[in-house]
Amino acid sequence: MLTELLQTLIFGLATAGVIAVGAVGLTLSYGVTRFVNFSYGELLTVGAYATFVLVHSGLPLAPAAALSAVLVGLLGVLVARVFYDPLREWGAFPLLITSIGVAFIIQNLLRMGFGSDPKRFPLPPMRPWHFGPLYIPKAQAIILVVALGTMLLIHLLLTYTLLGKMMRAASDNPVLARVSGINPQNISRVTWFVSSTIAGLAGVLLAITQVAIQPAMGWSFLLVIFAATLLGGIGRPYGAMLGALFVGLGIELGTAYIAANYTYAFAFIILVAVLVFRPQGIMGGIE
Amino acid sequence: MSIEWLPFLASLSTLALIYGLLALGLNLHYGYTGLLNFGHVAFFAAGAFASALATLPPPGSPEYIAIGGKYTIGLGLPFLVGMGMAALAGGLLAFLIGLTSIRLTSHYLAIATFAMAEIFQAFLSNEEWLTRGVYGINVVPQPLKGTLVPVEQYTYFYLILTAAVVAVLLIFAQLLTESPFGRVLRGIREDELAARTLGKDTPRAKLIAFVLGGALAGIAGSLWTHSIGAVHVGQFVPIVTFQVWLAMLIGGAGNNVGVILGAFVLMLIREGTRFVSNIPGLDRFAASNPTFVPSLRFVLIGLLIVIVVRFFPNGLLPERRRRASRSRGGRP
Repeated sequence: MLTELLQTLIFGLATAGVIAVGAVGLTLSYGVTRFVNFSYGELLTVGAYATFVLVHSGLPLAPAAALSAVLVGLLGVLVARVFYDPLREWGAFPLLITSIGVAFIIQNLLRMGFGSDPKRFPLPPMRPWHFGPLYIPKAQAIILVVALGTMLLIHLLLTYTLLGKMMRAASDNPVLARVSGINPQNISRVTWFVSSTIAGLAGVLLAITQVAIQPAMGWSFLLVIFAATLLGGIGRPYGAMLGALFVGLGIELGTAYIAANYTYAFAFIILVAVLVFRPQGIMGGIE
Repeated sequence: MSIEWLPFLASLSTLALIYGLLALGLNLHYGYTGLLNFGHVAFFAAGAFASALATLPPPGSPEYIAIGGKYTIGLGLPFLVGMGMAALAGGLLAFLIGLTSIRLTSHYLAIATFAMAEIFQAFLSNEEWLTRGVYGINVVPQPLKGTLVPVEQYTYFYLILTAAVVAVLLIFAQLLTESPFGRVLRGIREDELAARTLGKDTPRAKLIAFVLGGALAGIAGSLWTHSIGAVHVGQFVPIVTFQVWLAMLIGGAGNNVGVILGAFVLMLIREGTRFVSNIPGLDRFAASNPTFVPSLRFVLIGLLIVIVVRFFPNGLLPERRRRASRSRGGRP
């Protein structure tokens, strides 16, 4: 009974780690661009597929993942340049709809290239650690370490670097940031890069938890990320981390104890509950 | 690839009319009231299942055995009652969703409706006693087929039936949106605070618009399931919602005739991609990857969404510009 609960919590923490990485990236980009990006999930998928291709062409997993994340970062800047920047002054609605179009384009280009069938993610076989009746798969441990490392890096970036301070300033008060001499265009480009790189990394982590990759993986995961982002308060990186913890544990506990077939639906229920009862989230979102 | 053109065009027009009806419902939500509904497919699904289950022969009846039914609910009701129940199901689901989230603003409403459609889809795929899950129900009755209408002529009969239903509902939508209530809806879209300041009960008006649009989508679900004689959860994925959005935006949000025209344009473009596999050079890819052509179709739909928003934001038939009447009262 207790072992089962602890085991579920271990898996919940790993799931939370994946969500946290994705949610922090999304919330950072919202802070500067101020629209909910429905094509964000596709960046995760591209990260997973890029890693898949690089590993099959001979690179070890870790450098392949890092290189993929950077490539996804560049892709994010390119996509923003082509599709989102021209609409920047048009308000949130055209951007929102455009991001859905972009999501379909990317997702189905992947499907054209790789087919719809799931592909096995090239993860080397690893023995789980045993602690008495508990076991911890190494993959879950790696996810947790990478997620915590990413959180720490983002914390350092936002708190101690000039760039991070500029990103926070642009997010808190765009007008004030502008008059203080922060170039909004540069900061938006850098933010797209950072948030997309994080998305690429989240895609690799997601691929590790799901074992197989397929073209709709990021799109299906998008609402889970939204749930964590909104629970934490949109535009709040630390809120997103906290939100991810709740959503990750919620998914695993719900699946283990309420209904096994509804996995992600638990995240969606959390999402709707947040929107209905506390739309500003735990930390109070930005508007 | 040879196809018979006439039946193909007839079934394409039926499909376009069904999408047009979906767009008519969404137009009531977004085009007139400004509500960002990203979960329209849920109302479509609710209507399709309600109508199918209402009209299927009851389990245990001779017809049930004859068609080899495996479902658990079938009420054996006439088609028109099924359509009424579809409207009710779509409206009721919209009422439940609207009750919780209609007060949310812009993108929060979009996310909430999107999430609730996903929850509804998870429900439909997991509750096999109701929907037969991944197997679906493939014996949904088609009204008058083989009895009054010969099987060979059925495609044309169904097109006329669909056109009649959509025409009636188009008139209904037109009367509604030109009524004082329609003016309240447009007022909410332009400035909800101002509408409220003028004493309009805006949450109630939004909820009514949401329910009516949901009911229209429910009827579209009924027309759809009887047109193909099957219903299956896999048909009701988010891309349906966004194709309806695209049809509405192509035609012109806020114009009831326009959005139906938009659905026809969308279907022409979408079905045009069928012939991609004949293009030299591309046929090689199409042969090696069975998902190549369907995926290319969705790439085009995505591209079309981007292009319409950026270059044709008012659509083919833009909303009529309205002026306040000058006759009453002078300048203050």
